Amino acid sequence: MDGDGSSESPIETKKAKSKTPRKPKETILKQKSPAEFFAENKNIAGFDNPGKSLYTTVRELVENSLDSAESISELPVVEITIEEIGKSKFNSMIGLVDRERVDAALYDDYETEKAREKRLAKEARAQEMQAKNAALGKKVKDTPASKAIKGRGEASFYRVTCKDNGKGMPHDDIPNMFGRVLSGTKYGLKQTRGKFGLGAKMALIWSKMSTGLPIEITSSMKNQNYVSFCRLDIDIHKNIPHVHLHEKRENKEHWRGAEIQVVIEGNWTTYRSKILHYMRQMAVITPYAQFLFKFVSDAPDKNVSIRFARRTDVMPPIPMETKHHPSSVDLLLIKRLIAETSKQNLLQFLQHEFVNISKSYAERLIGEMGPDFGSKMTVKSLTSQQLVRIHQLLRQAKFDDPSGHCLSPAGEYNLRLGIIKELHPDMVATYSGSAQVFEGHPFIVEAGVSVGGKNVKQGLNIFRFANRIPLLFEQGADVVTRTAHKRINWSSYKINQMQDKIGVFVSIVSTKIPFKGTGKEYIGDDITEIASAVKYAIQQCCVQLKSKIVKKMHAREQQERKRNLSRYIPDASGAVYNVLKEMTQLHASKKIRYGDDDAELLSKVSENLITKETLCEKLSKHVEQVYSLALCVKVS
Amino acid sequence: MADNKKRRRKDPAGDELPFKNKLKPDSAIMETLKQFSASSSSSSVSQTLTLQDLSLPFRCREVADLSLSSVQSNIESLILRIAHSILSGHGFSFDVPSRSAANQLYVPELDRIVLKDKSSLRPFANISTVRKSAITARILQLIHQLCIKGIHVTKRDLFYTDVKLFQDQIQSDAVLDDVSCMLGCTRSSLNVVAAEKGVVVGRLIFSDNGDMIDCTKMGMGGKAIPPNIDRVGDMQSDALFILLVEKDAAYMRLAEDRFYNRFPCIIVTAKGQPDVSTRLFLRKMKTELKLPVLALVDSDPYGLKILSVYGCGSKNMSYDSANLTTPDIKWLGVRPSDLDKYKIPEQCRLPMTEQDIKTGKDLLEEDFVKKNPGWVEELTLMVKTKQKAEIQALSTFGFQYLSEVYLPLKLQQKDWL
Repeated sequence: MDGDGSSESPIETKKAKSKTPRKPKETILKQKSPAEFFAENKNIAGFDNPGKSLYTTVRELVENSLDSAESISELPVVEITIEEIGKSKFNSMIGLVDRERVDAALYDDYETEKAREKRLAKEARAQEMQAKNAALGKKVKDTPASKAIKGRGEASFYRVTCKDNGKGMPHDDIPNMFGRVLSGTKYGLKQTRGKFGLGAKMALIWSKMSTGLPIEITSSMKNQNYVSFCRLDIDIHKNIPHVHLHEKRENKEHWRGAEIQVVIEGNWTTYRSKILHYMRQMAVITPYAQFLFKFVSDAPDKNVSIRFARRTDVMPPIPMETKHHPSSVDLLLIKRLIAETSKQNLLQFLQHEFVNISKSYAERLIGEMGPDFGSKMTVKSLTSQQLVRIHQLLRQAKFDDPSGHCLSPAGEYNLRLGIIKELHPDMVATYSGSAQVFEGHPFIVEAGVSVGGKNVKQGLNIFRFANRIPLLFEQGADVVTRTAHKRINWSSYKINQMQDKIGVFVSIVSTKIPFKGTGKEYIGDDITEIASAVKYAIQQCCVQLKSKIVKKMHAREQQERKRNLSRYIPDASGAVYNVLKEMTQLHASKKIRYGDDDAELLSKVSENLITKETLCEKLSKHVEQVYSLALCVKVS
Repeated sequence: MADNKKRRRKDPAGDELPFKNKLKPDSAIMETLKQFSASSSSSSVSQTLTLQDLSLPFRCREVADLSLSSVQSNIESLILRIAHSILSGHGFSFDVPSRSAANQLYVPELDRIVLKDKSSLRPFANISTVRKSAITARILQLIHQLCIKGIHVTKRDLFYTDVKLFQDQIQSDAVLDDVSCMLGCTRSSLNVVAAEKGVVVGRLIFSDNGDMIDCTKMGMGGKAIPPNIDRVGDMQSDALFILLVEKDAAYMRLAEDRFYNRFPCIIVTAKGQPDVSTRLFLRKMKTELKLPVLALVDSDPYGLKILSVYGCGSKNMSYDSANLTTPDIKWLGVRPSDLDKYKIPEQCRLPMTEQDIKTGKDLLEEDFVKKNPGWVEELTLMVKTKQKAEIQALSTFGFQYLSEVYLPLKLQQKDWL
């Protein structure tokens, strides 16, 4: 960092020189707090624009709630409410008086005289046309009501409230948990939804940037006889919480959980479907949770209230915190582990701070490191050179792959439930792969493939999940999308990629999901381990489906055959009967000799004991018999 | 120009036509023709071999003309068998002689294709044959009615009695052939005829359903060949040969020029692929009048194929080849060697397509071609030069070149194979 600073300084001075009137103050070394950095680069955390920010806020709060409830093995109950706040209400909230526009021309959306004339003329024309059409009796669509022109700066504000039945937060930690960016409880090596300790804080930063209103937290933990209430905002420059109110209140109902309320700028209209999709897919992948989603606004027809009921009590096990795999560590990490370890000597350190290093293996490793290493040497006394040697060896040596025990996949059962609930498919198959490794991190791929269903588009419908959160953006570049579109030969499984309604669900869990890009939005297609695991999982589902599809097709074919056979019964029996009938008439007039059998048959025909219907019936019985026989043969 | 020439036809000024100077007077040609006619009538007497005369190592299927009543009783016994089978709960099936290529055989001694006795079962309760067996039953019923009423219908009529079931005339036609094969009778005995297609003109007098027809007095178009050969009789002729023409255009030229008056002959065409009645008619003429048959077809594989159908029969109707084929047809023209011999200009010849060449090569493998070394030579030449020409290519020397020069010269030189 220092080197960078010095190399850049001449350029800086040049710049300063070129802009002579500026003060040389520019060259002063500035420092930025993490909060400042993220405030300036909020797109990294998914706060690109007001709409996306609303979506990400909802998402972060919901995921925190789920993590919190799951951490104490409680079936999650999450209530999320988005309340639209009109401008005047917002102003009153912040104590601002509504002011009428005095100088109308000052505003961006001011309509000049000319523009007004133009608009009125256009409206008049449209009206005239409508009248004409109406007179002619033509059916006309209502001309779209001229959209309320929304001027710039006419922001919409929303109060987002998320309430859960989770673990709650210790009273004293609350300010730091929300008011300090990059502080968190989820930094260990563990499969979690959140990772960086950013989500809730980013919501707070965004609220500070767009509304200036503080965040309100209510929380209570198990066996606490009080409820913590905290109203705070964040000092962005110092990256420390700025507490307005922090108090303990009475907890009469022995409530446990947390409720977070934040007021932000957003855009419900454009992100409505994304948010609803997110909630729906979240319900798919966490069928053991109960969600209540509400959108409240002044216009009652826009209100939304959806309840995603719990469909199972079976919860995946809590993901375990695991130790690092030796092949995935870097120099810095080794240093940190050494600083944090309680083990004294090198042997113990290797054996206990990593997975997949047994005592004997640790000894072999130490022997390989060189003569200046020994099992008994104190780990904290290692020189930087020695650390580099250890790092090199860990990189090169062979270790068993990490096991997937520390992971908590959704499970085939949950996946299947989710798919059935979401798509109501005709058939569904699921597959859960075994744990595999990418860069020392274990991962598990689970897949579900469905065919048919209600409200499903034709073709491929992809649903992606990473560490049990739905991924909605950047679908095109994602490994699942690419695999399903390019590397699966659907037709070989008797599935028509264009015509059939195919649902592809893939859930990947890992201690570290290799997200691409800035947000947690997609997994790149360049990781062969993951790509092939995804392909294999989907293929396994398809293989299961194929046999079902083939059976179905077979049954349909049999049905078709039977129908085809039956279709010709009247023709054939009619033809035969007509000849017989003619013969009886000839028989009566001329005296032609027939055999006994034939004579009997003909007399029955003439006495109407045998009719066309008799023949039809006999023939269809025969067809039925042949058909059922064919079916038996096929089955055996 | 052509018009002028027509007026001055009898004048000796027609020397511009190439090869015309080689022509001897008509009387000389007549002499050669008389000899030819006499020799062929004497030779054809001796040739009346039938399948029974040969002791072939396998059985062959042949059909015969049956009377209406026997067709009727055949159908009735078949239907009775089926009715019994249905009533006993076994469904039903037809035993249909196979008419596939694998079941065909060319017999060199007879010089025609015959059908071997392989047959296939056509059960109703099978998805692949249900349709055909239903159609077969229906056709049997319709034929039965025809037998009772004693009337004739065309194949088209038959198709229209149950369009919904038959769907396509090809299907009812195919089943009709199956039925005649199955009942062991000719298609004419089923009282189903094809629409008339062939025409005849020239020195022939015959009776059609009791009316005497003189084919020299039928105008330019000639007499349509009647579909019911059983109503044709009393053939008389003073012709020296029968000229079989592939195409309508060449036929018209010859009829208009009254070629049959210059050289007494009977001119027949079926306008392309011959239908059953034309083939029957030709055979009847050949056997009753004992005249040689000369064929004028295009110089392409298709022309030779048509010739083979007249001569050895088609595969589709091989079960009735005994009645349909006319043995000993001579290939008069237009032969591939004629293209150079008569100096037909390049622009009148056509290049053969891939398909043509393939058909030509396939024909070279056929037995009925192989038995005639002359034909093999001609066909090999055609495939080698990859050129074909229609009869109309001769019009390049004038519209009447065909009747004025080409044919007389061919006859004079006895240039047939």
